[in-house]
Amino acid sequence: MGFGDFNKKDHFAISSLGMEIAVSEILGVALGYWLDKKYGTSPCCLLVGAVLGFMLSFYQVLRAVKNLDRQAKEQKNGHR
Amino acid sequence: MDIAEIISHHILDNDWGISLGSVRLPVTTHSVTIFVVSALLLTVLFFIARGGASRCSRLLTTLAEEYVTFIRDSMILPNMGPEGRPMLPYFCTLFLFILSVNLAGMLPEMKTATSNISVTAALALCSGILILYSGLKFHGVIGFLKGFVPSGTPVWLVPLIFPLEIISTIIKVCVLAIRLFANMLSGHMVLLCLLLIIFIVGKMNVFAGVGALIPAMVLEIFMTFLELLVAFLQAYVFTLLTAIFAGSVIHTH
Repeated sequence: MGFGDFNKKDHFAISSLGMEIAVSEILGVALGYWLDKKYGTSPCCLLVGAVLGFMLSFYQVLRAVKNLDRQAKEQKNGHR
Repeated sequence: MDIAEIISHHILDNDWGISLGSVRLPVTTHSVTIFVVSALLLTVLFFIARGGASRCSRLLTTLAEEYVTFIRDSMILPNMGPEGRPMLPYFCTLFLFILSVNLAGMLPEMKTATSNISVTAALALCSGILILYSGLKFHGVIGFLKGFVPSGTPVWLVPLIFPLEIISTIIKVCVLAIRLFANMLSGHMVLLCLLLIIFIVGKMNVFAGVGALIPAMVLEIFMTFLELLVAFLQAYVFTLLTAIFAGSVIHTH
């Protein structure tokens, strides 16, 4: 079952990407918040955590795009 | 009428735990639902496994075989390859359990245990352990850890990429839990809110409440069917994504 250039597996990868972005951001912020509470460094750790979470989410997007690209290339080569 | 209390009573877990001396047994509506569903599944599957010559038992056996074939051919083999065959029982259990617990929530007087983050987190933890096990089994400790670094990564980037990859794998497992939890919770919340519309409008004006009855009930019926679809879909998605993740650990590039 395929829609356009994507197959079912790609759709699952893309649809879970949004939630992965959210969860990594939340994880980073939660870690920063916890460190702030522990050491009383508010709001430094929170900001650093948010930036780290953002970086992590972008890394996941980039990796997913790379994976999709590689699979598409493999499929093209396979069909020829 | 306290709306928040009604919603929390119907959606959240109610603890009527039993205290035995100093030990407290956490008997909650969700845990009771899980135990009832598990007992029911075990009984039914026991009778199916025992088989029999009657027409009914033959039909049930065929159904069970068809189900196992469906899990094997549409989830395991395309995503995990033949290496995934030994893990077939786990996936069959996972799909049937999540589906039954989701559907149990649609019955009156029963609760959806999958709308509790602890339940879905436990399920996701089992899936995480399976992913870890399959990675360790097919690649060994060193090979499994090597799989976290994508091929073609420059050596100086490895200390940065390696923790990022490990955290992303953990996040993927967390997302499994959150997806199932959020879908089941929100579905039942919508069902309840649609019903509450009638009472909220009716409190302002009785005739308006009667007028809101028909659209609210039509939407309610629609949402109930949507919930049935979501119950199947989420069980399918959870199982399939576990298979995809385990497959990606087994077939590292």
